[in-house]
Amino acid sequence: MFFKPNFLLLDYAIRSLMRRFGKSFFIFFILSLLIFVLASVLMIADAIKLELNTTLKTLPQITLQRFIAGKQSDVPLERVEALLDIEGISAVTPRVWGYYYFKPAGVNFSIVGIDAYEEQYSATLSTLTQRFDIKLLEKENGMIIGEGVQKILSENYYTEFFNFITSEGKWQRVHIAGVFHSDLALESNDLIILPKKLAYAIFGMDKSKATDIIVKVANVKEIPTIVQKINERYPDMRAITQDDIRVSYQNIFDYKSGFFLALFSICAFAFFIIIYDKTSGLSSEEKKEIGILKAIGWSSDDILKEKFYESFTLSLSAFFVGITCSLFYVYALQASFLRNLFMGYSALKPSFALPFSVDVSMLILLFLLSVPIYIAATLIPAWRASTLDADEVMR
Amino acid sequence: MSLTPEIIALLTLDTIFLFFGVIAFFLSFRLALYWNNDASTPLQYSLTKQSYLVATIIKYIFMLKLPLFLFFIYTCDKLSNIIAGAMCASGVVNSVDFGLYLTLFKLFNLYLFGFWLLLHYADMRCEKLPYTRLKFILFVAFSFPLFVEIGLEIAFFVSLNISKIVSCCGTLFSAASSSYISLLFVVDELLWVGLFYGFFAMSLLAFWLKHNVLILFSNAMFLIFAIIALIVFFSPYVYELPTHRCPFCLLQKDYYYVGYLLYTLLFLGTFYGMGGAMLSLISKEKMRFSKLSVGFNTLYVVIISLYPIVYFIRNGVWL
Amino acid sequence: MIVLHEVCKQFMQGDEEAHALKKVSLEIKKGECVVLKGSSGSGKSTLLSLIAGLMQPSSGTISVEGKEISKLPESFSAQLRREKIGFIFQKFHLIPYLSALENVIAPLIPENLPVRILEEKAKIAMEQCGIAHKAKMRVNRLSGGEQQRVAIARALVNNPSIILADEPTANLDETLSRELIASLEALKHSGVTLLIATHDPLFFELPFVDRIIEIKNGEMIL
Repeated sequence: MFFKPNFLLLDYAIRSLMRRFGKSFFIFFILSLLIFVLASVLMIADAIKLELNTTLKTLPQITLQRFIAGKQSDVPLERVEALLDIEGISAVTPRVWGYYYFKPAGVNFSIVGIDAYEEQYSATLSTLTQRFDIKLLEKENGMIIGEGVQKILSENYYTEFFNFITSEGKWQRVHIAGVFHSDLALESNDLIILPKKLAYAIFGMDKSKATDIIVKVANVKEIPTIVQKINERYPDMRAITQDDIRVSYQNIFDYKSGFFLALFSICAFAFFIIIYDKTSGLSSEEKKEIGILKAIGWSSDDILKEKFYESFTLSLSAFFVGITCSLFYVYALQASFLRNLFMGYSALKPSFALPFSVDVSMLILLFLLSVPIYIAATLIPAWRASTLDADEVMR
Repeated sequence: MSLTPEIIALLTLDTIFLFFGVIAFFLSFRLALYWNNDASTPLQYSLTKQSYLVATIIKYIFMLKLPLFLFFIYTCDKLSNIIAGAMCASGVVNSVDFGLYLTLFKLFNLYLFGFWLLLHYADMRCEKLPYTRLKFILFVAFSFPLFVEIGLEIAFFVSLNISKIVSCCGTLFSAASSSYISLLFVVDELLWVGLFYGFFAMSLLAFWLKHNVLILFSNAMFLIFAIIALIVFFSPYVYELPTHRCPFCLLQKDYYYVGYLLYTLLFLGTFYGMGGAMLSLISKEKMRFSKLSVGFNTLYVVIISLYPIVYFIRNGVWL
Repeated sequence: MIVLHEVCKQFMQGDEEAHALKKVSLEIKKGECVVLKGSSGSGKSTLLSLIAGLMQPSSGTISVEGKEISKLPESFSAQLRREKIGFIFQKFHLIPYLSALENVIAPLIPENLPVRILEEKAKIAMEQCGIAHKAKMRVNRLSGGEQQRVAIARALVNNPSIILADEPTANLDETLSRELIASLEALKHSGVTLLIATHDPLFFELPFVDRIIEIKNGEMIL
């Protein structure tokens, strides 16, 4: 009843595994591989989630978008003043931003228009405005670009300036005033910051409108009530809160890793049928050995225990090997290949480092998905072996 | 339905349990029907072998169910981040109508399987294998709650709706709740506390008298009233909030995971108490588990009582 | 002390029942040395397996050291084998990839005692058989004679009161056979009950053998 480990038996089990090296190694290898793939996928998903959560914190508390006929459209600027009347709102900022498709490289740049006199809505932007002189940008038609953008542009021989093609088909020449790199590469790698005036010109937007509106709230707990008030006043506006984004991201990632896991289960199932097959076929050598052991005083239970130690050692070591490999692969090699599975961004986006995030609960999850399932696959073969008739050895 | 990795893990293991459970059920059925200790027929010979398989399967399921119970609670706790309104596992558990029953079934099955293993242990220690037939008859009976639990768990995760807004523990465990839990708050809380300490005293008395039926009864009652008293009286002292009554938030990091310790003590104590008493009723063996039971129960009572006492010493008032 | 009472054993060979033993009754006293004589397939090995509790009789009872081994649950019969019975097999049946010492320890592993104690026990048995100096060698590197000594040491490691030997000299040349017989004689003098199943004529004129029982087609010929 009370479990007391038998180290000699463990030793015996390990030797017995080593003796059947070919067979054990085959199982060990495949099992480690499966655990490795599974662990990598979960770790990547978790790391991206962590990265996104960090990014999310820098996102605005409430984003207001206007929908006309179910399509997002620009918001008239007069609503900004009106929104400030709602109690609890501490700041309202209209944003002008969008994507610019750069055909020669086939990538999208994010363009954000800023205004020197406005309060910046994100931490990244406010550090940038401190580092670079925004008023100067306005004077000399300049822009600040992210490292990724700089790389793409210089590949296309734009090192000093860039010619945007506006919606009317004219060229808009903008001077590259600076390059920034940020720790949060995910957010800023493909970013171009330029004065609002230029942004309006490039997008061909009406100057009395903004892309969307950012709302800052004094008390975070009041967000739901404020959203309700905004909805009452402007039924065509949709409010997206930080929390909404967080939940939808979490769902996407859980769904993606879940989907992967479902595929994985099928592979694993196939594998366990192989294991079942491999472990239930006993060679005459093994049968003889079981016979000898029984004759010299082992009971079925002891043999079952020995088999359990075997499968436990095998699966546990495969578990550790798989986990170690995937830690190395995900964080040292930055998970080349596999990370693309989770990122549907443009070619520029993925060049960020996966932040380290491994918690005990994930290890427990991985353990539950590997070791007990492997033991389950060997349970019946082990029982068959343990109840073999011992008189075999007497012939 | 949401496919988080945790849920897939739980469902996969449930499938395995179901598979093994069905095998064990049919074999137990055969064993219960045909087992004859005195026979030396080929049938008896194959039955003996099969009885090892059943015992192995049950050991396997039990060994995994213990950590999985914690894992289940943990998964619900984690899901409470996604589900709007839920602040801890209780919101998630109660988001589906039968969630609470599922949790109770899980707990109940742990007791049943644990008891089966106690009986198995007693059986294997005796040359005559006196309880073999009994234990397989019992397993045939025990496998039904197991299947119900697995079915409930699958249904639970299938019907779990992430976008549905659920209540948090603050409304579930309060007098305002519409569920039967609110009935607990109708009665004066001191009554529950009195019953809690009363049954603890009774279990001590029963141990001293070595009266098995009384041990069984007092431990069962102690378990029930310990949980009620925990919800109604003790939990606000753990949270240091007069209105916060919840048996699940204890498990969170904010309270140093103290719930895991408390529940382990309580469940171990009452399990050894009831299982040991049941075993001595069947086998007339000497009581080996009662001491463990008294130890764990006392530890639980001491720790849980310290919360209000320390609070009173520090603040000079009761909540 | 071994008592067999009207023991029968049938096997199913295809659809037909084959009788390996027919109503065998036998009593072997403590410290006695009995040789079971008979050609291969006569039922000698079956008889040994039954006494060791490795199989159960179809009918009849067998008791060893006062315990009815044929009625014991498997875990108890294994324990009885481990504590009271030592086995010497035809071809020794050592576990080839283990060292001599590990082979001798093997019967004790299920007891889950500290390694130190078990090694101590094994060393005593190995010294008794004069093979202690080869303890660390893998048994498949040992010569036939050395393997034989390891096999005897394994049988003796738990100080059994009964030794069962199944065709112990079947694969040995005469020198080794003589050596084995000498060790058996030493055991007999230390008070161990010996039961030797063999058709080797060397055993039939030994002074320390108390009884020779012939088995033919599953029946005892007195």
